[in-house]
Amino acid sequence: MRSHSRRIATATAVLAVGALALAGCAKGGGGGAPSAAASQTPLENKAVSAITVGTAADSTGPAPEVAGAKPGGTANMIDRDDFSHLDPGRVYLNYNSSVSLLFTRQLTNYKEDASGSIKLVGDLATDAGTTTDGGKTWKFTLKDGVKWQDGSAITSGDIKYSFERLFADFITEGPDYAETWLVPDPNKPFRDQYKGPYDGKELDTIETPDDKTVIFHLNAPHPDFNFTVAMTGYGAVPKAKDTKQKYDKQPFSSGPYQIVSHTTDKSLELERNPNWDKNTDPIRHAYPDKFHMEFGLQSQQSTERFLADTGADKQAFTFHNAVAPERVQEVLGNAEAMKRSIQGLTPFTTFYNINTKRVTDVNVRKAIITAWPAKQLQQIAGGEINSGKIATTVLSPTVLGYEASDLYGKLAKPEGDPEAAKKLLASSSTPTPTIVYAYNQTPTQEKITVAIKDALTKAGFNVVAKPLNPATYYDAIGPVDNQYDIYWGGWAADWPTGSTAIQPQFDGRLIADNAPNYTHLNVPEINTAIDQANTIADPTEAGKAWAAIDRKIMEQAAIVPEYYQTYFGLYGSGLGGVRFDPIQGEQSALDIWVK
Amino acid sequence: MTSFLVRRILGAIVILILISLITFYLFYALPRDPARAFCGKICRPETLTLIRHNLGMDEPLFVQYWHWLSGIFMGREFTQFGACPAPCLGYSFATQEPVFSAIVDRFPVTLSLTLGASVVILSFGILTGMLAAWKVGQPLDKIASSTSVIGASLQIYFVGPLVVFAVVDTLGLLPRPSYVPFTEDPLTWFVHLLIPWVVLSIIFTANYTRMTRSQMLEQLAEDYVRTARAKGMSGRSVFFRFAWRGAMIPIITIFGVDLATLLGGAIITEQTFTLHGIGELAVRAVQNTDLPMLLGVTVVGAAAIVFLNIVVDVLYAFIDPRVRLS
Repeated sequence: MRSHSRRIATATAVLAVGALALAGCAKGGGGGAPSAAASQTPLENKAVSAITVGTAADSTGPAPEVAGAKPGGTANMIDRDDFSHLDPGRVYLNYNSSVSLLFTRQLTNYKEDASGSIKLVGDLATDAGTTTDGGKTWKFTLKDGVKWQDGSAITSGDIKYSFERLFADFITEGPDYAETWLVPDPNKPFRDQYKGPYDGKELDTIETPDDKTVIFHLNAPHPDFNFTVAMTGYGAVPKAKDTKQKYDKQPFSSGPYQIVSHTTDKSLELERNPNWDKNTDPIRHAYPDKFHMEFGLQSQQSTERFLADTGADKQAFTFHNAVAPERVQEVLGNAEAMKRSIQGLTPFTTFYNINTKRVTDVNVRKAIITAWPAKQLQQIAGGEINSGKIATTVLSPTVLGYEASDLYGKLAKPEGDPEAAKKLLASSSTPTPTIVYAYNQTPTQEKITVAIKDALTKAGFNVVAKPLNPATYYDAIGPVDNQYDIYWGGWAADWPTGSTAIQPQFDGRLIADNAPNYTHLNVPEINTAIDQANTIADPTEAGKAWAAIDRKIMEQAAIVPEYYQTYFGLYGSGLGGVRFDPIQGEQSALDIWVK
Repeated sequence: MTSFLVRRILGAIVILILISLITFYLFYALPRDPARAFCGKICRPETLTLIRHNLGMDEPLFVQYWHWLSGIFMGREFTQFGACPAPCLGYSFATQEPVFSAIVDRFPVTLSLTLGASVVILSFGILTGMLAAWKVGQPLDKIASSTSVIGASLQIYFVGPLVVFAVVDTLGLLPRPSYVPFTEDPLTWFVHLLIPWVVLSIIFTANYTRMTRSQMLEQLAEDYVRTARAKGMSGRSVFFRFAWRGAMIPIITIFGVDLATLLGGAIITEQTFTLHGIGELAVRAVQNTDLPMLLGVTVVGAAAIVFLNIVVDVLYAFIDPRVRLS
């Protein structure tokens, strides 16, 4: 009896161990040892090679055909989060912009060619707009044949209305550049000057002499206004179909697809918009008959499904979910999965703000940058593929005018140079300064904090680390009189020129509680240079001016640049045409076709 | 019975109001400003002020709470979101969907998960425990006991992906877990929830096996069982007609308490299998500091637990005639 029991117990144990061992085997299984070749070699992240303004010919549809593409089928999208806003006026996040490209069109938009260069072209407009007075007045002409999903024509009145409704008091989440420029006084709240169209009043600064022409009269010259109106936030909304707050869940389509149903946090279904004419659209394709989108998957789950590549996941992509950091090595070592991978440089840069109101000596700030252990921090964060390329400038390589420079030798000595930092401190007003470093209290950031503290201590700093609750991080660092010296931040230009990359963050006249100028930098020379750069009409010349301002900001040592953020994602084997969108920094749905 | 029910329901209402009050005030003790979620990347002070006004956050806390409470019966109008008909629990700060609709929409998922797991727990747990007690000291008893020890040690977030990998990805025996409404296709509903039911119930089944075995053995040692045997009643009759009833009383009582734990387990199960239930709503509400959703889920969850405990109390009276509700 006893030996029989022991035999059963042994068999049970063997089965249990066997079941656990199964977890480590088979196709794409979790925990499998990566192959010897899976070292983390630097990614081929191409920066955008050029950004130009296209011509009327560039603005003409159809978009060049994707090799091998065929119409039909359903493309699936799996991601963590549902789209928080679909009303164009309330869209600011890149994630919402990516999906909006399928059903919302703007006056202008971006077209990327195979070489990686980007052109701003007319989307609803015949070209990227014209100005004859340095950007104070902008004229756009709508294309023939652009229609809403019900077949009615998109008119200049619709475009005007789309801008007017942005002044309504429930539309607060989107960009407000145009609103600020379309009112008489840019220094007063724009809602105090115009309250929106719902009480029957119109905005006089937008003129529509006929059904095709829209003329914007801005209160000051803005030579890159044609870039501004490419933002999803300025997408077209028809007056006749404006359901106000409800529009946020089901907007009316002007693009190749229309929304069939949207169940919050669960799914979004799109089908073809029969009234979209590809001949009017230089950017988009509409190969799949439908898109089926599902939410609620963490990156670990979506990575597992892409690796398994079974069933409906063969025809799946994701806008936003990257390869889970703990599976990156496995993916890199999986040749089959790598054929279905996407990599690219996003528009996002990350950095550490140095509070110039508290750390007032520029040599102390320079010493911080010099001592900073960039390489070690990148390793802790999982390497380049998980975090990004080590940055040395304010501007991202994805911005027009970016010029590579490394004022503090971070690429030569990415581990930091405590001896050089000590010399800088010796020449400063505070040879042994105390620095208060505030950080998000997460497991990775705890490790990063230890490394930062060690490196700065070796250079002669006394570092006081202050953990902050991630949920309230920006509430803590937002006040101008916050009690911290260094705190992490990130930014992306709202369009790929220097103005929105630099001005919101480093114009000293914009310092306010919860404003993006977290460094509180206020240098009159830089403020003046920003004003001048904003008036330069030629984008290339403007780019040079912004690059010069970038260098000035780095000379002021206002930030410790961290990364030019990268994206690494996967998609299913049953899809073609999946590519990286350098404007949104995510996967693009515009060329996708179902094999 | 009627007066008992009325007393319990009134008590439940008081409990729910207290829970909602505490949750409401605790939320506002946090330093986070929910208005920022509705402000663009470049958030102007005047826009933030407008948003706070739109959300009613510029009013005193007790006025905000009153608006929330009265909205349940009378509905509300929100500048940011539009009209909210009764019962209005507000709009989610994160998703801008009506909280009540979100909860109702996801309730069947959590209900299916919890009910199904309850059936597995009570049937397998009790059956296995009874078999173990029936065959006490024999191999069946030992297997049941050791399996329950292992089962009680496992975690949903560990077992869940393992089972999916083995049963779905590798062997292809079952489809990937998802929720299909029962009213749409009962068979698909059943098949797609089988894995989550089994995984969620593993820990509880193990515990109920041990509890049932222990209770049965205790009952079998009672005087009335000895008397029944002495009077010539067969072992099978004693076991299945008398002893099990006495054993079920504490088990049902404990199950009433365990319902709250089961709901907590459902939260983890929903996350593990990407099931869009109330648990997922709760997790996201905490992550996003989403007060309306947090309040709604807390109050609805508390209401469900209070209701189920009332049901358990009523069942208790039916099982044990000695209990007097008055």
